[in-house]
Amino acid sequence: MPLYSRMLIPLLLIAVLASACQSRSNGYEVVYAMDSETTSGPADSADPGAGRSYTIAFVPKGSDIPYFQYAAEGAMEAGRELGVNVLYSGPPEADADRQIEVIRRLIEQKVDLIAVSANDPVKLVPVLEDARKRGVRVITWDADTEPEARKFFVNMVEPETLGRHLMDTLALAMGEKGDFAVLTGSLSAANLNEWLKWIKRQQVEFYPDMRLVEVAATDDDLRKAAGEARRLLAQYPNLQGILGNSSVGPPAAAKEVRAAGKAGKVKVVGLSNPKLMKEYLLDDSAQMATLWSPKKLGYLTVVLAVDYLRGRLPKDGQVVDNVGNIRVSGDMVVMGEPLDFTKENVDQYDF
Amino acid sequence: MISNIGSRFRFRHLRLSTKLIVTYILLTVIPMSMLGYISYRQYARSVEEQIGEYMPRFLYQANADIEKHIDELSKLPDMLFNSDNILGILRRQAYRNRSDLNKDQYSMDNYLARTYINGSYPDVIGVYVLSGGRTFHSARLDFEEADWNEVLSQYEEGAPKPGRVKIVLPGELRLHYKSRIPYVFIEKPINDMDNRKILGQMLIAVDLTFIDHILRNFETDRRAELWVMSPSGRIVYHTDRNQIGTVDPNLPRYPVHNGSFRSYASSEPKLMSVNESSGLGWVLVHSVPLKDLTKRTDLVRNVTITVFIIIIFVTLAIAVFLSWNMTRPLKKLSSLMKTVEMGNFQVDLKVQSGDEVGTLARSFNSMIATIRDLIQRNYQIEIRQKEAELYALQSQINPHFMYNTLEAIGMAVEEGERESVVEMVTLLGRMLRFSVSNPSKSVTIGEEVQHVKDYLTIQKYRFEDRLNFEIARMLDDRDLHTLYTPKFILQPVVENAIKHGLESRRSLQIHIAISREFGARSGKHDIVFRVRDNGPGIPPERLEELERLLRNAALEKRDSQFGLSNVGARIVMTHGPQYGLQLHSIAGKGTEVTIRIPTIREPGAADRTDNEEG
Repeated sequence: MPLYSRMLIPLLLIAVLASACQSRSNGYEVVYAMDSETTSGPADSADPGAGRSYTIAFVPKGSDIPYFQYAAEGAMEAGRELGVNVLYSGPPEADADRQIEVIRRLIEQKVDLIAVSANDPVKLVPVLEDARKRGVRVITWDADTEPEARKFFVNMVEPETLGRHLMDTLALAMGEKGDFAVLTGSLSAANLNEWLKWIKRQQVEFYPDMRLVEVAATDDDLRKAAGEARRLLAQYPNLQGILGNSSVGPPAAAKEVRAAGKAGKVKVVGLSNPKLMKEYLLDDSAQMATLWSPKKLGYLTVVLAVDYLRGRLPKDGQVVDNVGNIRVSGDMVVMGEPLDFTKENVDQYDF
Repeated sequence: MISNIGSRFRFRHLRLSTKLIVTYILLTVIPMSMLGYISYRQYARSVEEQIGEYMPRFLYQANADIEKHIDELSKLPDMLFNSDNILGILRRQAYRNRSDLNKDQYSMDNYLARTYINGSYPDVIGVYVLSGGRTFHSARLDFEEADWNEVLSQYEEGAPKPGRVKIVLPGELRLHYKSRIPYVFIEKPINDMDNRKILGQMLIAVDLTFIDHILRNFETDRRAELWVMSPSGRIVYHTDRNQIGTVDPNLPRYPVHNGSFRSYASSEPKLMSVNESSGLGWVLVHSVPLKDLTKRTDLVRNVTITVFIIIIFVTLAIAVFLSWNMTRPLKKLSSLMKTVEMGNFQVDLKVQSGDEVGTLARSFNSMIATIRDLIQRNYQIEIRQKEAELYALQSQINPHFMYNTLEAIGMAVEEGERESVVEMVTLLGRMLRFSVSNPSKSVTIGEEVQHVKDYLTIQKYRFEDRLNFEIARMLDDRDLHTLYTPKFILQPVVENAIKHGLESRRSLQIHIAISREFGARSGKHDIVFRVRDNGPGIPPERLEELERLLRNAALEKRDSQFGLSNVGARIVMTHGPQYGLQLHSIAGKGTEVTIRIPTIREPGAADRTDNEEG
């Protein structure tokens, strides 16, 4: 017994010391390691389909219309940043039937998602439903379809805000009295009709001295717009204002007003690109243009489309990088507020 | 192995007290010290582990707070877009004249001051907007460098700009504020969302002392250090302000980036807790010397050590005392044994205790006493036996008896009593043969009785009518020849009776009876010889003296009573005190001597010393 205890105790002591020294050989001894889950919890970087490259079809009303070309620039920018393939494909002019053909082709190409600015909210429904049946996701932007044909709609501004604001700018330019006409795009375009509704209501509510003489359709065609403007100026000699609620209308109207030598007499306001309106604003053939950034709209549409493909739907108050806060009401996303372009600030914009 | 055997060998030969003390130490001091060491160590470790587990969570929270704060500050550049005028200035590329530029510069600086510096952002030291070669700024503090403007412009042109928020450490810009506060720049591109263009960069210098407020909650120990590092290890913020801007070279070696570990890298072992934020990648480190963590346990440790030492001393004292106490009687015992070995039995081991050692001492004492007693007794028995035999031998060939007998034979020859002569010579011869030829100490009862009868017959020839005797054998013949008795026990009694009887009486009657009786004292059937005479008897005082003499069984000098006491002593010594001689006497009437011996069936048994009576 004494022999063993004599041998055992030094051995035990050595063992204890050794265990204490052992793990500090590299100078560090881990006491506690937090599991990585708690640390990476808030930043859920796990995207289910992050590795896949998506193809998104970005379909405008008319691919030759500058507004949509700018929107396509934004869409392409987002595509580059997010690493997705964006196809800009649509009818040259705003035409529902030809747009349907384009969509058919896109379905054949097996794109992952179609984002469409609809020329006709009803006509497009069957083809879009067909696309959804075949596994292609559908959202709308700029101009909506019937809700059942798409998942959500990316709108640029609140229709009511925009419609009332357009009426206000015209009233301001006209001194709140006189006859005016509206140049709309397609009579079937849902967004234009929605804005028109609010334009009329604002006029009825606040401007009794003003009178809407005619709503003329341009079908978003430059030549037709110019013709309609000419016709209006000729048909209504007392016409004091023209409001264009689609981007083709105001430049055509301003050009015809200037040609008719009525610059400043017939006020021209409406939705259009600042670049198109710049020369008319500077020489007073047009008083004010209103729009949003189509680039930003294109960018936002693609960002939300990619989110949707990755399983996330837009949320109210969501902050989108390089866009800002968005609002969501129901299945409609609203990008922001309209921008006004005047002689003073029209230089600042490049679309 | 050899040395182990050697040590074992040596241990075996150590003194018992040393062994006991060593064993005590092994059994108390070492386990206790190990137990104390291990439990203290475990306790200290558990304290460390507790803090090591709790601190990273705290750091995680603090890091999240810091990140949140930086995040909020990162949103500040967006406020530029709230003003169309400011947006217009930023979008402007060219100026026709200097006053135009100066006007924009003024409005922009003014706006920056109103919005950021005078606003509710106490952590913002300064804002710098770099756009199209222009620098707008507003700041609470000035840079040390006079050419800061150029440094910033160069910076903007130099490094490629990411599209997102970036933290620029002071070291990357080589700009220093005059008061040495910890700060970083938050760099954010000014993104024209409408035109999809980058209009320039905005740098916000952020005072990092807000981290102080976040960390103040749990930085309790003044010796603890806290610092924040960029992912590359450059220290952005440190509780020791002098460390800011230096690089922690150990960062790549940290075993975990979210957790705690002990660091033995520096001179002092430390407990380090680390958390790496997920967004910025900033590493928040809390470092505290291990010593400080266990400071509160130091009192406990010191008390434990003190108590431990006291206990060790007490147990050592007890061990020494006990081993001394236990081995002292043993040592005494061994020395006493040596004395006994030398032949001295007059020893006494004085141990009072009632334990095993006491029992041992008592056993030793009793053993020594027994040995002493046995030696004494055997020695005396031997002497007495020898003396008794010598006396008996002398009595048998008593010259006086021989003379008297030969004279009687002579007279008979003269008177021509031829038959008497022949008988007397025959008897004498038989008596001599009995005495000489039989060397054993015991004889059969028959032989002994024959011998006394021969003796009495010779005396009868001599004293004729003055002496009469009869012998009553109340045993059967077989017993007479199979039972044994010590030799020569009857003749001295008879001789004594004749001597005293014939001194005072004209005629003496001697009656000898041999019987087998139950003995009350021995509890067995004993052989009893009774020798009765009608002599003068013994006066009571003399009888008392004689009885005392017989009881003591001591060998007095040979006197008239020697014959009696010699017989008694021999019987008592051989067979125990329940046997022996008894005197009954009535003065003037006679005396009866009763000799009681056990029933002895083997001749040697009478020789044997009965030790059981010891």
